[in-house]
Amino acid sequence: MRTDRFGRVAAVAAFGVVAMACGGSSGGTTTSGSKGTISIGVDLPESGAAASSGIPTLNGVKFAVQKAGGSVDGWTLTVENRDDAVGGTYNADKGVQNVTDLINTKTVVAMVGPFNSAVGKAEIPVTNPAGLTMISPSNTNPCLTKDLPTCSFHPQDLRKGQPNNYFRVVATDDLQGPAMADYAYNTLGVKTIGILDEKTVYGAGIADAFQAQFKKDGGTALRDSYDPKTTNTWKSYLNKFKDGGATAIYVGGTDDQKACQPRAEMKALGIGAWPYLGGDGIETGQCIDDAAESALGVSATTAGADAGQIPAAAATITDFKKAFPDPNAYGAYTMSAYDAANIEIQAIDRALKAGKDPSKINDFRAAVRDEVAKTSNYAGVLGSTTFDKNGDTSAKIISVYAVKQETADRVKVGDLTCGKAGGSNANLCFDWVKQFNFGG
Amino acid sequence: MPDAVIRLRNTFAGDLGTALFSVLGLAGFAYVVYQAVLSPRALFATMVVGVTDGAIYALIALGYTMVYGIIELINFAHGDIFTLGAFVALPLLAAFGFKHDAKFSATVAVVLVIVTVIVMIIIGGVNVAIERIAYRPLRNAPRLAPLITAIGMSFIVEGAMYLWRGPVSLRFPDLLPQHIYRFGPVEFGFKDAFVVVAALLLVISLSLFIGRTKLGKAMRATAQDRDASYLMGIDINRTIAATFFIGAALAAAGGMIYGLFINTVRFDLGFSAGLVAFTAAVFGGIGNIEGAALGGLLIGIIRAMNERYFSGSWSDVVIFSILIMVLVFRPTGLLGMRVPEK
Repeated sequence: MRTDRFGRVAAVAAFGVVAMACGGSSGGTTTSGSKGTISIGVDLPESGAAASSGIPTLNGVKFAVQKAGGSVDGWTLTVENRDDAVGGTYNADKGVQNVTDLINTKTVVAMVGPFNSAVGKAEIPVTNPAGLTMISPSNTNPCLTKDLPTCSFHPQDLRKGQPNNYFRVVATDDLQGPAMADYAYNTLGVKTIGILDEKTVYGAGIADAFQAQFKKDGGTALRDSYDPKTTNTWKSYLNKFKDGGATAIYVGGTDDQKACQPRAEMKALGIGAWPYLGGDGIETGQCIDDAAESALGVSATTAGADAGQIPAAAATITDFKKAFPDPNAYGAYTMSAYDAANIEIQAIDRALKAGKDPSKINDFRAAVRDEVAKTSNYAGVLGSTTFDKNGDTSAKIISVYAVKQETADRVKVGDLTCGKAGGSNANLCFDWVKQFNFGG
Repeated sequence: MPDAVIRLRNTFAGDLGTALFSVLGLAGFAYVVYQAVLSPRALFATMVVGVTDGAIYALIALGYTMVYGIIELINFAHGDIFTLGAFVALPLLAAFGFKHDAKFSATVAVVLVIVTVIVMIIIGGVNVAIERIAYRPLRNAPRLAPLITAIGMSFIVEGAMYLWRGPVSLRFPDLLPQHIYRFGPVEFGFKDAFVVVAALLLVISLSLFIGRTKLGKAMRATAQDRDASYLMGIDINRTIAATFFIGAALAAAGGMIYGLFINTVRFDLGFSAGLVAFTAAVFGGIGNIEGAALGGLLIGIIRAMNERYFSGSWSDVVIFSILIMVLVFRPTGLLGMRVPEK
């Protein structure tokens, strides 16, 4: 499953931010009258190219601690930060090293992270026996919490029968297909659609989910697959869909499996105006470049809410930007991390009030884990969160983005996914259109 | 038991095989006719896709078949040489000021010809260097040794392109006219015609070169019997190097044409393109120039037909099933093998 979100805030000059991150783990200076120090651990990719993902997310946690006044119930609250990037990319082995280190740090009672699902998959078996709570602000691979037929690994194998310690505040990828199906049928008015996938677990899975929902909505779906290794032209597929009465294409796949190259061929066949839809695998700058002069009309979903579009989040974002004035300090997952950290702070608070003692670290971690699991109707910035028994949030929000022509100044802000800087599609970016809430 | 097997095989390889093969061919042809009646427009569109796709495979297949014909080596690096052609063309086009898409003009045409010639020379040189470094020292070594160095060269060339431009798809500037011609149900773009005409010209000139020139004659002689050619005063090393040069130059031209036609190239393109092209060469009869061209065309057409009328999810299954049938009935390929005599 594609869950890497580094493309979203990519092309932001990252080095300045990295410098800022080096002071990440704030020291545990005990203020007068403090009962001691407890910490929230953080594990995110924070260096090199990945810094544009990790640093704004880390800032969300820092902001939550700052808003709590740096303390809970008389205990000093700090952030214990670790970087899981190696050579500018997230690294699961580094993540495992980091969480082992956090477990050995006796002040850490819960953690926020990781950023990437592959890292989560490696970390859960390590944190689970230690009872260390993890809340991911951005993992969207459903297999971390749900045992679906398309999963190549299973949540129960990661936990080995022990109580669940892994939670997330974003929706999962398996809801992306249905969301786009509803968008295509109801919003765009597409009645017949051609569906392509690239024969991967992610691509075929998301295309299947799209197809099922599109048919349920009343639409007709024409389906085919291509082998990304041997296919270089899609004209015959497109002609087939065209003759079959389709008026749009849904592609289940990722840009690196050529999922956006069929788009570039549509114009010559006279169908360049068709909507071209897909999942987060095509919500990338590379997709905009591959679609060439037909990039407009491409739409994609991502799992999770766009905080910038939620009216209730506006005040918090304004506060955040006052506290972190650097333009690169805010990212797509800052508010998710803020909510995740706040859920943990509240759980810590409840555990302390129930008389649990942070100096007995193993018992206290288990108590925090149990309190986080009990989180119900937590009113966060992104909406109301209740965790189910798997650790999934009740706020199942999927966002739809469409490629639009932006001004150069808008692109400079750096929070949109745009074509390659300096390229002919540099000012074409994925812009928020709509969100779907699959929550109860 | 073995006798029975041999008899069975002989039966299939003989008249019965030819008959079965003809029936299959006729069935395929009948299906095409059926589609032509059903919707000539759809069939022609599919044929255009298949022929253009196949023409590019054919250009790559020529290099495989020439090298195999002369030294019985499967030059696995050949597909990557093809990709390298497109990669080298990119900075050259940029140097002439064509970094992005541009409208076609006389200047563009001149620049394209110049760039193609430069790319063909550079890539030809690279392939000659590969032959000198990795194949020539092993010419009399056991057959497996040069096979492995060829696989190694393939990874090295691909790795070099990865290090040079990274994992991303590169946009090849769209410089050809977008004009579309329509005659009744017949409809094709300028780009389609360009690919087919360019490939045809290259195949014909190669065929003439090998058939009519002195070097071509030397190549044919070397292919037939290397030792006898040497005794007749043919410079074997020079002849083999020339074969590698010409094969790579054709692949480089193919890379240029592919780039101008598909407009997207990536470092790992050559692996799959090379595999398909090699298949095309065997399909048509390895060592046989016209066979390679025919094999490429047929694979392109079968793929397009399957994607249009059946399901693209098993295109490779269909292509290779047909290949297996052809080879079972005609082990030497469609037009027969031409390899050194033992």
